[in-house]
Amino acid sequence: MQDFVSISLVYLGIYALSTLSLNLQYGYAGIINFGWIAFQAVGAYIAAVTSLGPASPSGFQHYILGARLAFPLPLVLGTLAGAALALVLGGLILTRRIRRDFQAIIMLIVAIIAAQVVIATVGLFNGANGLSGVPKPFNGVFHLSYHGYQWFYVGWMAVLCIVVYAGQEWLCRTSWGRALRAMREDDVLAGYAGINIQALRVVVFVLGGAIAGFSGALLVEFLGTWSPDAWSFVETFVVFVAVYVGGRGNNFGAIIGAFLVPVVIGTMPSFLPQFGYPGLTANLEWIVIALAWLIIFYLRPVGILPERRHIATRSRVSARVNATTT
Amino acid sequence: MNLYWEAVGFGVIAAASIGLGAMGFTLQFGLTNVLNIGYGAIMSLGGIVAYVSHSAGISIWFGLLLGGLSASAVTLIVAKTILAVYARRGAALFEMAMITFGVALIVEYAIAAITRNNTYPLTIAIEHAMSLGPLRFTKVQLILVIVAFGVFVLLDLFLHLTRLGVALRATAVDPDLARASGIATNQIVTAAWLLSGFLCGLAGGVFMVNILTISAFTGDSLLSLVIVAALMGTAGSVRGAALAALAIGIATQVVSVAGASSYDTAVAYGFLALVLLARPRTLQGGLVTDRVQITV
Repeated sequence: MQDFVSISLVYLGIYALSTLSLNLQYGYAGIINFGWIAFQAVGAYIAAVTSLGPASPSGFQHYILGARLAFPLPLVLGTLAGAALALVLGGLILTRRIRRDFQAIIMLIVAIIAAQVVIATVGLFNGANGLSGVPKPFNGVFHLSYHGYQWFYVGWMAVLCIVVYAGQEWLCRTSWGRALRAMREDDVLAGYAGINIQALRVVVFVLGGAIAGFSGALLVEFLGTWSPDAWSFVETFVVFVAVYVGGRGNNFGAIIGAFLVPVVIGTMPSFLPQFGYPGLTANLEWIVIALAWLIIFYLRPVGILPERRHIATRSRVSARVNATTT
Repeated sequence: MNLYWEAVGFGVIAAASIGLGAMGFTLQFGLTNVLNIGYGAIMSLGGIVAYVSHSAGISIWFGLLLGGLSASAVTLIVAKTILAVYARRGAALFEMAMITFGVALIVEYAIAAITRNNTYPLTIAIEHAMSLGPLRFTKVQLILVIVAFGVFVLLDLFLHLTRLGVALRATAVDPDLARASGIATNQIVTAAWLLSGFLCGLAGGVFMVNILTISAFTGDSLLSLVIVAALMGTAGSVRGAALAALAIGIATQVVSVAGASSYDTAVAYGFLALVLLARPRTLQGGLVTDRVQITV
């Protein structure tokens, strides 16, 4: 039971980072990243191979870039990998005049095919079997018990989530955040207002990609394993549902969505008494999540915590007007 | 060289299922503007129904027909109940796509729950391959290709020669103007859902006969190719979808003969990049597109 709580809390942290990342891209900037999971996956893979040590040809797993780097480096490299993938895809897709829903479907196909390529190319990240035995950071430093380490990781996740949340919340309140919302509502008008739409879109996509890669790196360091099963394209759907349920365009809402959808609704079927054949509850889990999405979106399309209306107060506006006129 | 001709033959067979799916996808998408990710589940459903009826002793050809019909019925019911409700509430384009995703998950995992996550092998009599010029087909494969090509010709004639087909194309271009001209657009949309569901169900069945296995998730592996073909051929264009499917089918098989057997699907990447770089016009439509009208 103690295990269950600590593992759930770590997952909550991972999903909170996930929904924050997607909320930045979709909730604020209106970019439909339907291939989101690929960014988390690349972060996890890069963090894994840079901490596993060089691959030996006779070993049981094959991968590229094998290295055993000290603690924060795999995490940093995973984050950078997410950002780099976002830079490439964003530059290729988001800077073109392509319908938004087509952009979304292209991202989805990219994620599906990325999984097929990883499975087919065993030398890349050990194919369908995936990587395992990824070392856990700090484990050798503090000499914690198994449970102690689980709880230590919960605290570590909490610190990181608060940092990312605070940073993102601050960013979204600046004029940069305002530009994001303007672009989301009407990119043509935002362009007239002097915002470089193409550049802004790529920058926010890269930021979101970096957070996604970061969450993947943290996840793989906790789990110790990572394989194509862990990042099938339907996982993106869960994160999107969480953002919708929490309230898109609201960072705290995104975290609430992360708690409600994957953690509470997603794990509910595992509380049912064991019945049927093994694997039935996993199937039911997906049906429950999909049903919950349809019902919640019908009842409350804006989400639990809708986006706050950002209205400049009259005194501040007039103060600025006075400052410029005098 | 012979090997490559054989690959072209396999490519044509692969194109049969991709093309059927892409024609159905593009017809519905061009008309309703709902990006229906649910067709992956619908294709699995068509295949499963064909498999079950074949196991029950029905001929596989009749089974394929049954698969198409049941997929058609499910598609229409989903569209007219679930999708229509959300469309009336003013769901945006992407939200509609998310809803079709949700429905797809329910259908797919319900099938998985009933079939206990099994992958079923299809056993049909395989005759010796016969030569057709440099290409080689078994009888079953040849029939599949002929069926797909026949469907394409019939669909094309239907869209260009019959009153219903012309009305369908008119509704796709401008639903308001079509309604004002006295076209019962509601019935047209119903017809499009039925037709696209049938084609996708048939595609799932044909895919199963081709790869000889079926599971609840078989349709997903076909879906990405189907969507790439539909986008490449311009949304709404049946001829474009058929041509793109043929190109993708042949390219994937030739690549797999050329020594990169497990990368055949990754070739779709290349096609996607081609669409992006060489034919961006097919994907254009303004940066903000939530103004596109949804007709369910």
